Amino acid sequence: MTRRLSGVYAAYLVFTIVFFGPVLFMLWSSLRDNVDITGSLFDLGSPLTLDNFTNLFERFAFGRHIANSFIVAGGSTILGLALGAPAAYVIVRRKLAALGFVTLLARMAPGVLFVLPLFVLSIRIGGPDSVALNYALLIVAHLIITLPLCIWLLVPFFEEIPISIEESTLIDGANAWQRFHKIALPLALPGLSVALTLSFVFSWNYFLFALALANERTMPLTVIAFNFIGQGSNDFGGLMAASALISAPALLLTIFAQRWLVRGITGGAVK
Amino acid sequence: MGDLMTKPSATPGPVGAGPAVGTPPRRRRRRVDPTARGVLPFALPAVLATAVLVLVPIGYTIWLSVSDRQADGTNSGFLGLANYAEMFDSPQFWSSLKITLFLFVVCLLLETVLGLALGYVMSLDVPGQRIFQGMMLIPAITASVAVGLVWLLIMDPTLGAANQILGAVGIDPVVWLGDPDVAPWAIALVDIWQWTPFMALIISAGIRSLPEEPFEAAALDGASGWRLAWNVGLPLLRPVLTVAMLLRTVDLVRFFDTIYIMTQGGPVNSTNTLNVYGYNAGFVDNQPSYAATLQIALLALVIMIAGLFTWFRQRAAR
Repeated sequence: MTRRLSGVYAAYLVFTIVFFGPVLFMLWSSLRDNVDITGSLFDLGSPLTLDNFTNLFERFAFGRHIANSFIVAGGSTILGLALGAPAAYVIVRRKLAALGFVTLLARMAPGVLFVLPLFVLSIRIGGPDSVALNYALLIVAHLIITLPLCIWLLVPFFEEIPISIEESTLIDGANAWQRFHKIALPLALPGLSVALTLSFVFSWNYFLFALALANERTMPLTVIAFNFIGQGSNDFGGLMAASALISAPALLLTIFAQRWLVRGITGGAVK
Repeated sequence: MGDLMTKPSATPGPVGAGPAVGTPPRRRRRRVDPTARGVLPFALPAVLATAVLVLVPIGYTIWLSVSDRQADGTNSGFLGLANYAEMFDSPQFWSSLKITLFLFVVCLLLETVLGLALGYVMSLDVPGQRIFQGMMLIPAITASVAVGLVWLLIMDPTLGAANQILGAVGIDPVVWLGDPDVAPWAIALVDIWQWTPFMALIISAGIRSLPEEPFEAAALDGASGWRLAWNVGLPLLRPVLTVAMLLRTVDLVRFFDTIYIMTQGGPVNSTNTLNVYGYNAGFVDNQPSYAATLQIALLALVIMIAGLFTWFRQRAAR
């Protein structure tokens, strides 16, 4: 038995080095001076510093880009939940298939397919020059990610609500809307938290729409970090600090809400 | 990645998971259960949003692909299938298709095999299992931009961790992203790193939900170890495995993020997948109609491969 256990931990060690090593390497490098990184990549003795992070905020106004990421991810998540929760409820109660099929198309279509029409629209309504319009466009574009995600995540939670609970309210004469928002919605609260966190992180992570649609002032973290590479930046410390900031929501999610995450990822793939 | 949508149990699943889309028998419509009465309008906002956000862009892209929109925004109107003819005549299209399929096959294969190994390890109930699982989850939910940046540093020809580690064991440095022969493999490596844990997570959940009886019965017959896993475990795991592979398939065929971040399709177009090609055609070369044609071709390819998968799966289930 102990031999088996040590075998498992040996496997743990190998997989951890391979799959978690690069993440650890990123976090560690973000705390090192660039001169130390380029001098000796693996020198564990080199001093740690927060300079890379302060640099990002002072020289590249990262505060603004973080705020942009929050606005876009937050906006599209709230919108996704507001539209997705009632829709998921209807799908469960009426056993609707068609809506599921269309969201499936959203899942399969390449992102560029959406970006092209959105870009044409953006030009036509003056999106590139207006900050407010640009935010709105980005939020709506990210709804393509968050709405199907919210619906698919919420459906199993509404399915779990016993129908008898709602039937009992029929006697009290509650109408459909009251049944939904007074009975079903509170019971699906865990599901709402799952959908909220996951769609926030996925929207935060999403790269392509902002790459094509954002302007200088609405650019989220993902795009400004990508632009660093374009500028031929060899400031690895800075790049790793930017990566660490972008990864922050995902890392926090794994630490504090692992169970939701697993549920969100495996969803209905495994019954 | 809005990459992680999977199939909720009682609703018709992704990619035609069943014959569920057909119309229900008329009789049933009468007996809508009372709690379902009057709820239909709640879905209206989502239906409208989906129509506007998904169907309209697809329709507009189809229109672009059969018309002639110029870089300056003018459109000289219906063109028939000329853009498609141009696409099929273009050597870059065929080479992009080849790269797309290469990455799809290599990544899917290795992610499945490694995912089975990691998934098995993750499914074992030992102290520390949750912490281990948490660490394994991180690659799959970290933003592609961060993943790309880290791997750019790892694969840097002179400074990079990869070459320093190879150098320590006496292997000559590799030009990971600058050599057209190596770059597709390097990109595949990053994708395998990022998505194997995702496969493994689904597989490990599948392993944990396997019934025990078949294993006990086979063990009584004297089967053990690998033979048990291969002859009993794998067939039982097949439905879960297919769903996981299907989800990866859909993403791999439209491979974009890490490629665009790390190589933008280079060097010498060696990583120029259909999706990257399509993006560059639209936003770098300013050929909206041609870019639209490529995107429609790509969508068709995704649907075709996913359909093929579903067909195999249903045939296997019979």
